[in-house]
Amino acid sequence: MNTFLAALSLGTSRGAIFALVALGLVIVWRGAGIVNFAQMGQAMFSTYIASTLITNGYSYWIAFFVALLSGAALGALLDIFIMRPLSNKKQSELLSSESMRAAVPVIASLGILGALQALAGIIWAAEERGFPSPAKQEGFTVAGNVLPFTSFDVFVVSIVTVALILTTLFFTKTSIGLAMRATALNQEVAKLSGIRTNRTRTISWAISGAASSLAGLLITPTSNLSPNTLDLVLIVGFTAAVVGGLDSPVGAVLGGFILGMVISFVTFYDTPEDVFLAILAVLLAVLIIRPRGILGSKDARRV
Amino acid sequence: MLKIDNLVTRFGSVVAIDGISMQAQESKITTVIGANGAGKSTLLRTISGLEHPSSGSITWKGQSIIGKRPEDIVRLGIAHVPEGHAVISELSVEENISMGSLFRRRKFKSDITTAIDEMYALFPRLKERRKQLAGTLSGGERQMLAISRALVSRPQLLLLDEPSLGLAPLVVEQIIDSVNILCRSTGLSVLLVEQNANTALGVADHGVLLALGKVVADRPASELKADAKLRAAYLGY
Amino acid sequence: MRAVSNLKVKSIARTSLIRTLIFTALILIVGAQFDAYNQAQLAVVLILFIGVLSITLLTGISGQLSLGQGALMAVGGYSTALLITNYTLSLWVAVPLSIITSAIAGLLLGVAAARLRGPYLAGTTLVIALAIPTIANRFMSVFKGDEGLQVDVGYPPQWFTTVFGEPTYEQWQLYVALPFAAVALFFASNILLSRTGRMWRSIRDNESAASLAGVNFSRQKIYVFIISSTFAGLSGALYGLRGLVGPSVYPVSLSLLLLTAAVLGGIRSITGAFIGTVIVVFLPDWIELILGNFELSEQVSNFLPALISSLLLILTVVINPAGVAGVKLHKHK
Repeated sequence: MNTFLAALSLGTSRGAIFALVALGLVIVWRGAGIVNFAQMGQAMFSTYIASTLITNGYSYWIAFFVALLSGAALGALLDIFIMRPLSNKKQSELLSSESMRAAVPVIASLGILGALQALAGIIWAAEERGFPSPAKQEGFTVAGNVLPFTSFDVFVVSIVTVALILTTLFFTKTSIGLAMRATALNQEVAKLSGIRTNRTRTISWAISGAASSLAGLLITPTSNLSPNTLDLVLIVGFTAAVVGGLDSPVGAVLGGFILGMVISFVTFYDTPEDVFLAILAVLLAVLIIRPRGILGSKDARRV
Repeated sequence: MLKIDNLVTRFGSVVAIDGISMQAQESKITTVIGANGAGKSTLLRTISGLEHPSSGSITWKGQSIIGKRPEDIVRLGIAHVPEGHAVISELSVEENISMGSLFRRRKFKSDITTAIDEMYALFPRLKERRKQLAGTLSGGERQMLAISRALVSRPQLLLLDEPSLGLAPLVVEQIIDSVNILCRSTGLSVLLVEQNANTALGVADHGVLLALGKVVADRPASELKADAKLRAAYLGY
Repeated sequence: MRAVSNLKVKSIARTSLIRTLIFTALILIVGAQFDAYNQAQLAVVLILFIGVLSITLLTGISGQLSLGQGALMAVGGYSTALLITNYTLSLWVAVPLSIITSAIAGLLLGVAAARLRGPYLAGTTLVIALAIPTIANRFMSVFKGDEGLQVDVGYPPQWFTTVFGEPTYEQWQLYVALPFAAVALFFASNILLSRTGRMWRSIRDNESAASLAGVNFSRQKIYVFIISSTFAGLSGALYGLRGLVGPSVYPVSLSLLLLTAAVLGGIRSITGAFIGTVIVVFLPDWIELILGNFELSEQVSNFLPALISSLLLILTVVINPAGVAGVKLHKHK
């Protein structure tokens, strides 16, 4: 029973983080029409910034907010200096083929990931460092038994829930949210409606950047911080987004929790070595059985 | 209000517009007609900024608008309803209409609800379906929606590209009538591109006939309608 | 009609053969001028060149972006290592045999991936790239986990030393890699020039048009995966023969390295693949050459090559997506 609860608890808190990563991917997908593989690189970078602040004596919460801001700023800069020139490029004959046009932003985001990791290595070296958590990481004690839920887990889950609610409201109820959805779905009609599509896309990148920073801040206390630790999180986040439906924020969260549970239960009841194979199995299963994802709309697969 | 002078637009080596000079008269309906491939859609797309001309000039209220981005041209008062997929199927009717008013939120907050209500009054069918996804609408309703989106931005010039495409004659009549009423009552200038020359010339004040990217005739609509030789040569009836 | 197509096939083969011969000659000439270190580097270039060709075929010609070529290299590497270690086969037998396993892996990958596009394909192959090496840790008895299997290029056969004299270790690495690279070049050139290549390009450029023209693109996509995987597997086999086959030898960054090389050099041509591989392999050396006078901390010098190649990748994609070879290449696609 204890194993089950432990698995459940780990699945929930990790699931919450994967949900956040998936959410960030969905935001950029819905707002800019691409899958941002550099996302966790951005997260890693902002978390390093936060870590530096903390080592220099600033409080956790100041570092937290600076990390979010720098995540947003980094996202915006990436869009303005790399993604926007990329989408403006019309001349190249290479880009006349549909598949290359879809591949090029992916390659660019991989380049960004590599550059961010290398830059982090140059600035902070590749040594692993720890990262503090704002809440206790010991389990709650109830009636003398230590539950496998920690207050940090509660913290993580509540933040992610808030993030999800804010994101859904943002997309459906605000003007900017509508502008973002319109820009991603049909850029031409959006422009003809007077929407500043460039600016809108940059905002998507900024928000996604902040969301990924948040994910980085939440996961590093439980692992360690080095230029490569978050790569695996990206993979799981991507799978979560695909499982849930690449254009659905709620789907992203659902996918995140599903994957969190899968990984947790595989870790506890099978062996940790099987985790990646399990992720692969889930990914392939979804892509074969229901390619649009659980909550994805019919057009979710449109590239 | 809108003056076009010697406009040339190319796609690679293909010259789609080959030196067009014309005007869209204020508060009048000017129709651009001609066979397929005559350059009509390209003309509208060049005006609205979706395409860039290679040479020539387009002036709107005395200002040149060449090189401006489409979203800026909308803000100057020109709204373009492109042919075909002018609505976003994955968004609701309400959201599609609101899209057109987003850029006015800051300055004209109160006017926006009025503008949207006016669209619902003009096209009651849309009001019934306001929460539905645009993709579930019929062809005629989608066209009404596209026009509403454009009108909600309170343009002074409406560029309408082949509204009759794929629609039943009765629906076409309804839509053209509504646009006509709008023009006469609010002073909206309309540049109407149409394959269905008969219908277009029926409501228009002025007509411009294009062939192979050039202007062949530029006359009051009634004259064009009466000119049987011209009609037979270029319009096939 | 038959006669014409036969003629075409013959002339394509002839063109490819000429290219291969010129290539081989150039490598031998240049290699003879190099010192031992650079000869070893050249060998790596030849080995990775084969791997980059797998991307040229998969992504450049048929438009499918795969980030998992490193995993396919691992398949080739492990197959060869196991054949050599467990069955004491010579590498000249083991390597060609492991092409078969790579082809099978390619078939599986193709079946899974043929319906995917763009980021879905990229992400899935990335997951595969991460998942496959974990198998090594899962079945440690066979694959020896992180420790891996040790293999190497061995010694030249008797007849070789009699005719050519005794080569140095680096020279022998070069002489082992070269024939495989030449064969790979020959086949790649053949494919690119042939009707198959044209079919694949039509899939890349416009799927709807291709399907209207009767191209069964699902099946063709699988073929591309199979063929591209054989290239990757071959590359991986040779890569492992440098000394070790293990999960650390085939990390995800290897897949990205191949992709970077392909894009930098020009993703659509064989020349581009070669240029890109040269850049990627020699870049750390060139950086050291240029910045050698500056006192760089270890921290910086460790990561500088990666930073520069990533930046080059970004710049290439933004400014000139066709890569170095693409700048002048306007006729052949």
